[in-house]
Amino acid sequence: MRISKRVNELAPSGIRAFFDLVLGMKDVISLGVGEPDFVTPWHVRARAIESLEQGRTSYTSNKGMVELRSEICAFLKKRYQMTYDSEEEILITVGVSEALDLVMRAILNPGEKILVPEPCYVANGPVVKLAGGEAVYLKTSLENGFKVTPQQIEEAMSPGVRGILLSYPCNPTGTSYTKKELGEIAKVIKKHDLLVISDELYDELTYDFEHTPMATLPQMRNRVIYLNGFSKSYAMTGFRVGYVCGPADIVGAMTKIHQYTMLCVSTTSQIAAIEALKNSAGDVQAMKKEYDRRRRFIVGALNDIGMTCHMPQGAFYAFPSIKVTGEKAMDFARNLLLKQKVALVPGDAFGQGCSQHVRISYASSEENLKEAVRRIEKYLKKK
Amino acid sequence: MSKVKKSNSTTVRALIEVSITPQKDVGFDNIAERIYSYPQVKSCYLVSGGYDLLVIVEGDSIHTVADFVAAKLSSMANVRQTATHFLLRKYKEEGQILKQPKNEHRQNISY
Repeated sequence: MRISKRVNELAPSGIRAFFDLVLGMKDVISLGVGEPDFVTPWHVRARAIESLEQGRTSYTSNKGMVELRSEICAFLKKRYQMTYDSEEEILITVGVSEALDLVMRAILNPGEKILVPEPCYVANGPVVKLAGGEAVYLKTSLENGFKVTPQQIEEAMSPGVRGILLSYPCNPTGTSYTKKELGEIAKVIKKHDLLVISDELYDELTYDFEHTPMATLPQMRNRVIYLNGFSKSYAMTGFRVGYVCGPADIVGAMTKIHQYTMLCVSTTSQIAAIEALKNSAGDVQAMKKEYDRRRRFIVGALNDIGMTCHMPQGAFYAFPSIKVTGEKAMDFARNLLLKQKVALVPGDAFGQGCSQHVRISYASSEENLKEAVRRIEKYLKKK
Repeated sequence: MSKVKKSNSTTVRALIEVSITPQKDVGFDNIAERIYSYPQVKSCYLVSGGYDLLVIVEGDSIHTVADFVAAKLSSMANVRQTATHFLLRKYKEEGQILKQPKNEHRQNISY
């Protein structure tokens, strides 16, 4: 066989065919996009262009540009009172995706386990498996707001569990955790001496309470590998800039892999990221305000037409139940696409037990959202 | 909003520069009053620079506004000259940006 067993065993994505169908159709109202509908702020793009005009096209340090690392550390200190050494405890990565891959490869020995709350981002399980580990899924549901509980973690403990991959606010559910809830989870983490791979990419898009980084809780700093990036908060998905902060031994191990594989993040993108950190506070707040307005609209509208939907606390996704349709998510998504030309993502993409839900991205204009809801309602009535 | 918002499709709006010969004692006030009394005039400002009054006029069509300028405004005593600028598009008004930058390069679906 030409393909390695490890890759071959990765579950083939049944979603791929559906994605191909969507990508091949025209005039679709898409609520299936996992990235901001805002364009990167102009001053950030302008800085990138300027850097190219200046000929800044060479490699940077493997760890990332010193100025960017320093700016991120200063930002985290100011924003969350998190303190990281800009030489030893931070690495600039190609988005959070690379950071996720690196951290699993850095910490896992063959067969060791990572707890993965589900529904979750599509890569969360595969990165564990690709690193030779085993993903132990913790199912969450609409009834508990898609939140993982300390008790679930407790019950999932077994020999070989090294840590938990916690993403909050969560793609696809929008679920996030209050400081109190995180505190309860932290108790179990400390009790069992676990690591937390804390993906907080959507932290700036938290609406109902202040976001609390797991690393800021008492005695948690040295257990947390903090992942964040510029894609969502600054609408910079295509720039591909993320970062990881954490204990020097783990960040050092990740850097070792990064230097042999990725070498460094695009120089242009790093320069753009510096500009975003320095001068984009207003842009972030404006985007958050707009997302919040849409969030309230879409959740209200979905519940009104019979699709039970919890109020997401962050990100830009709603994760309604489609129980009312009597269909499986994949069938519902395909039929809705073909009959009403509305695209959304079947819940199956985010976990095996999610075929009663779909992910709706409200990173779309208000008029698109209104028209999409009208079409979904029309579809439901014709059933 | 996917496109730059056009000026309200049912109305046409024009900015008109009006040069005036000021009157003794009252300066521009009397002539300004005569102008802003027309309901077609939505705003009227005395300004510094190359002309005197900046008048904003609305009408049902470009012809309505042109007729108003020709028949009422230009012919008014003490009005020396007018220059009419029709609004073609609105990008920002009263601090509000009317054109939302839109990421139209996104794929229709992604994780």
